[in-house]
Amino acid sequence: MLRWVLGGGVLLPVLSIVALLIFAAPTGRGMLPLPLATTDPERIEVIGHQWWWEVRYPGEEGEPDVVTANRLVMPAGEPVDFRVTSEDVIHAFWIPRLGGKRDMVPGRFSTIRLEADAPGVFGGQCAEFCGAQHTGMQLHVEALERDDYDAWLDERRAPRESIEKGDAARAFGEHCAACHRVAGFPDELVVDDTEHDIKGPDLSDIGSRPTLGAGVLPMEEGAIAYWLQFHQMLKPGNRMPPHNHIETETLQDIGAWLETLAP
Amino acid sequence: MSDTKDASLTPDTRQLHEGLARVWANPRGLGALTVVNHTTLGLRFMATGAVFFLIGGLLAMLIRTQLAFPDNNFMSNETYNQVFTMHGTVMMFLFAIPILEGLAIYMIPKMIGARDLVCPRLTAFGYFCYLFGGIILTASLFLDMAPSSGWFMYTPLSSGEYSPGSGSDFWLLGITFVEISALSAGVELVVSILRTRTEGMALHKMPLFAWYILAMALMIVVGFPPLILGSILLELERATGMPFFDPAGGGDPVLWAHLFWLFGHPEVYIIFLPGAGIVATLIPVFARRPIVGYGWVVAAIVIMGFVSFGLWVHHMFTLGIPQLATAFFSAASMLVAIPTGIQLFVWLSTLWLGRPIMSLPMLWILGFLVIFVLGGLTGVMLALVPFNWQVHDTHFVVAHMHYVLVGGMLFPLLAGLYYWLPQVSGRMPSERLGKWSFWLIFLGFNLTFLIMHWTGLLGMRRRVFTYDTAMGWDIYNLISSIGGFMMAGGVALLIIDVALHFRFGKPAPQNPWNADGLEWAMPKPPTPYNFVSLPRLETRNPLWDVPELPRTLLEGRHGLATIDHGRRETWGSDPLTGKLREVVHLPTNSWWPLLAALSLAVVCISLLVRLYPLAAVATLIAVGFLLRWSWENGAHPKAAPDATVAPGQPPLHSRTMNGPGVWTMSVSHLANGSLYLSLLFGWFYLWTVAPEWRMPETSPLSMPLLVAAGLALTLGVLLLAKLVRRLRRRHDAGLRAGMNVAAALGALQSTLLIGVVWLAELAPTESAHDATLLVALLYVLIHALLGALLCLLQGLRVGYGFVSAEVPLEPVVVLRLWYYNLVVYWSLFVAIWVIPTVLGGAP
Amino acid sequence: MRHLLSLTHPIHLVGGHTIWGIWFIAIYGGLSVACSVAPPAPGRDTLTGINVAVGVSTLATAALLVWLTWACVRASRRAGVRRERFFGLVSAGNYLFAVGATLFVGYPAVFLPPCL
Repeated sequence: MLRWVLGGGVLLPVLSIVALLIFAAPTGRGMLPLPLATTDPERIEVIGHQWWWEVRYPGEEGEPDVVTANRLVMPAGEPVDFRVTSEDVIHAFWIPRLGGKRDMVPGRFSTIRLEADAPGVFGGQCAEFCGAQHTGMQLHVEALERDDYDAWLDERRAPRESIEKGDAARAFGEHCAACHRVAGFPDELVVDDTEHDIKGPDLSDIGSRPTLGAGVLPMEEGAIAYWLQFHQMLKPGNRMPPHNHIETETLQDIGAWLETLAP
Repeated sequence: MSDTKDASLTPDTRQLHEGLARVWANPRGLGALTVVNHTTLGLRFMATGAVFFLIGGLLAMLIRTQLAFPDNNFMSNETYNQVFTMHGTVMMFLFAIPILEGLAIYMIPKMIGARDLVCPRLTAFGYFCYLFGGIILTASLFLDMAPSSGWFMYTPLSSGEYSPGSGSDFWLLGITFVEISALSAGVELVVSILRTRTEGMALHKMPLFAWYILAMALMIVVGFPPLILGSILLELERATGMPFFDPAGGGDPVLWAHLFWLFGHPEVYIIFLPGAGIVATLIPVFARRPIVGYGWVVAAIVIMGFVSFGLWVHHMFTLGIPQLATAFFSAASMLVAIPTGIQLFVWLSTLWLGRPIMSLPMLWILGFLVIFVLGGLTGVMLALVPFNWQVHDTHFVVAHMHYVLVGGMLFPLLAGLYYWLPQVSGRMPSERLGKWSFWLIFLGFNLTFLIMHWTGLLGMRRRVFTYDTAMGWDIYNLISSIGGFMMAGGVALLIIDVALHFRFGKPAPQNPWNADGLEWAMPKPPTPYNFVSLPRLETRNPLWDVPELPRTLLEGRHGLATIDHGRRETWGSDPLTGKLREVVHLPTNSWWPLLAALSLAVVCISLLVRLYPLAAVATLIAVGFLLRWSWENGAHPKAAPDATVAPGQPPLHSRTMNGPGVWTMSVSHLANGSLYLSLLFGWFYLWTVAPEWRMPETSPLSMPLLVAAGLALTLGVLLLAKLVRRLRRRHDAGLRAGMNVAAALGALQSTLLIGVVWLAELAPTESAHDATLLVALLYVLIHALLGALLCLLQGLRVGYGFVSAEVPLEPVVVLRLWYYNLVVYWSLFVAIWVIPTVLGGAP
Repeated sequence: MRHLLSLTHPIHLVGGHTIWGIWFIAIYGGLSVACSVAPPAPGRDTLTGINVAVGVSTLATAALLVWLTWACVRASRRAGVRRERFFGLVSAGNYLFAVGATLFVGYPAVFLPPCL
């Protein structure tokens, strides 16, 4: 009897957990953002919002950050440090194919190191329940060869030509610009009469993004206008107010104009 | 068997039976609300828990319907969020804990040879708190205002800004209300197990079930207060804007996660331990031999109880805590495998060495073994940080958690249901229906959740209301849903079986399973007083070693077989040896518990609708009812005015200085101390960790006033201690005046504390520092007021003659409170004034 | 109160884990405070004062628990009453578990840097 309890109840679990610890120790160590021997790893900031992703590529000194949303482009074949935080509630940054997840806590930054072995497209998603549209908080991740990645980033770092003050731009300034930034958008067109201070995704390169509404719609011609009209049905509860008070043609104009925004 | 009318009883015995039945009678009609008997209340707890189980199960079916197909429109996202939040909340707080407590309340006195629990009115109060809290919480579902932030209510999602409706308030207030019930049951179970075992039942001779419940109750006592504190702080933040969890104001949302999981992880073991207790009770019966390795099991229970408090951070591995810190918790989590392994192999070797027979309860036990072992294995996997980072917050975790909870709790509970049903009703359930329901539940469960591990590994997050067919999860989710409905069918059969057996079941023999436990030695269905006479026992397997016990108990041939005094009595015994120490006289049926719980329900509802003046009034009324309830004690005419006992019996407990009341106060302070330590933890945590914490250069608190208040308290303690020392020597001269002076000192302390708060000019809505200080000061203020009030009442009671040198118990109990206040006050002084002053303001 | 100190009193059932728990809280809390007050440079890896402190406290606690295990076994051997033998032995088992638990939990300090 003692043999049973001692062997099965004590020895068996002790051996198993010691074996597990031996296996887990190096794995866990490998995930730490320790300093690399040669260069510093690429650093990308990801900020969670209800219910979309802000992605920032920090600029060198004096240089502005490159900002995009709901699309993460990263170099392949090298470790990347993701510095994550949140603007509102706790979210979690997770690209299942690349490794573990990390919670995004308001007021705190934390760093997780991931590596894509080869170029490719991956899905990312918010893993910590964050409210009404937790389900609809998807991230489109692309890993590019280092050269392609640099080119992609340089395109966005290049100074923007100033935007023409057409009808669509004026409508955008009146209805959207209080929450949504577009690089190079003329300040005088921005009408800020909103009571809420919600930040919406940066739209500077929206025309080049593969999805809309944090993964709710694929980007194709007319998709933005469709989204602008029906976004509360497509993604119920999202933070963008309904646009019932705006003419359909105006929305279509804004949509068509936004589709042209690409570096 | 209608034993009381047994013709072979002598007239004397029959008179004894009638007397007991009269004194212990449960009133009917409206009076049923005043019942305090543990048998009745245990059944009420379990029946109410079963109703909440059905509600929680219904919500689970809604979830499975929504997830059965991709892009399903069965529910909106908002509704789905309410449904899964309430499913978790109802199952955890309104089903699992209360039903297990109900089982313990019903079973413990019967197993340890007592006539009732040690605080019967507290049992009733706990039941009503549970009932009202549960009703308030579930009402939110019907009002479409249910909480929707998930059952662990992470801030800031649950805070005023991101959950503006009343949903979070329903959760915080309702759960806190229900937790009062859990705590009160926890306290009285601990004291009952330690102090009211029958004569000779030494600690190492008590049934293993009692060990398990003792551990569970102590864990409730220590484990629930962190969540109560967290709920109070979060509700304060929502109601008044104190920024405990808001980084902008110097708070930190991670503090909530700590407080929640500090409760939440032990909670899993609080649920598992009674389940394991059932298993450890049933296996020897069906293996037809005593358990092997009793000592091993006791050691494993203790280990589990402690280690489970060292695991909470493993729910927070992905929160960005340094990996070395997570490694501590990862290692501790794996350690749980050892006590679990010990218990498992103790059970297996008992079966191996016995002559096991198959039966319906045994079927459920075998199901438990399979499911729980699988849940334990995935648990060890989840303890590994790298693996955890991958599957955390996916359906893998959902599957794991259901394996542990359903395997560790529901299966043993149903085994226990079939095992003890004849004890409750005197009838046997149907073997055939029972088997059908077992197989439906067992197969349905595995179909649902075994597949779900896979869904989670494929990347399906928990708490998503729908998914895209392109993800390739359709078939797995459909299978899970089918399994879920199979399980629901099994539950339906089970209900039918139990309902039918009350009418059509065959009458059960005295000991249908040939069990060893004392609960089978009483009439069936049980009489309110359990035993006509209380046996002297020195064996772990009473009915196997003394088979004639049911007969001799009934004939009144054992202890405490008198009733002409008209009191409800049970033995008070030494916690270690089981030697008799006193006769505990128990209070009878009363309206006070109901009235107190009702007024607390008014407090709860008025806080919900934000009628704060009404809440304040109702709080005062509730305190009034509670104090009025405490008035009927000692030598009060409704308690024990006459202290005569039969020759040779120990004295009544109210005539001693170390009755169970002293123990109850001490165990309550274990809970209270856990709340206080959580508060201290919050203070130091925010100070060292919160990014925006602002500490003023000099403390805003007036040192002279703080010290003066402390001195008043210290003087009060010295005075009370002196009074108690004199009582010990049977001197009660000056007792009344002394009590009044102590009350005055307590009042002085309170006044000075109010002065401290007044002069500090705190801005609690602007900084977490000030808010935490305010809560800490209010905590000691409430205790000071309570200390003063109780001394004032003691003075009055001395005047009435309810307390005196002959009835000295109550001052000892009050002194315990003052000791507690003393320790808390000065340690708090060090924490909030001395240390900040020495270290200076934080940068 | 004196009988509480006797190693065959059931209070020692929880003694080992109480010591273990206090030590556990101390290293976890100490680590958090140390990392927020004086975090060592990440480049130093595990060669930091924090790791050393965790290691030393681990060994010291384990040594204390080993001694208590041995003392309980001895007390149990000497005890005359069956009850005392029982509790002495079970307590010894729990102290022994606490020894293992201390070493097991403290061990990661060997290979993990403290504040990352």
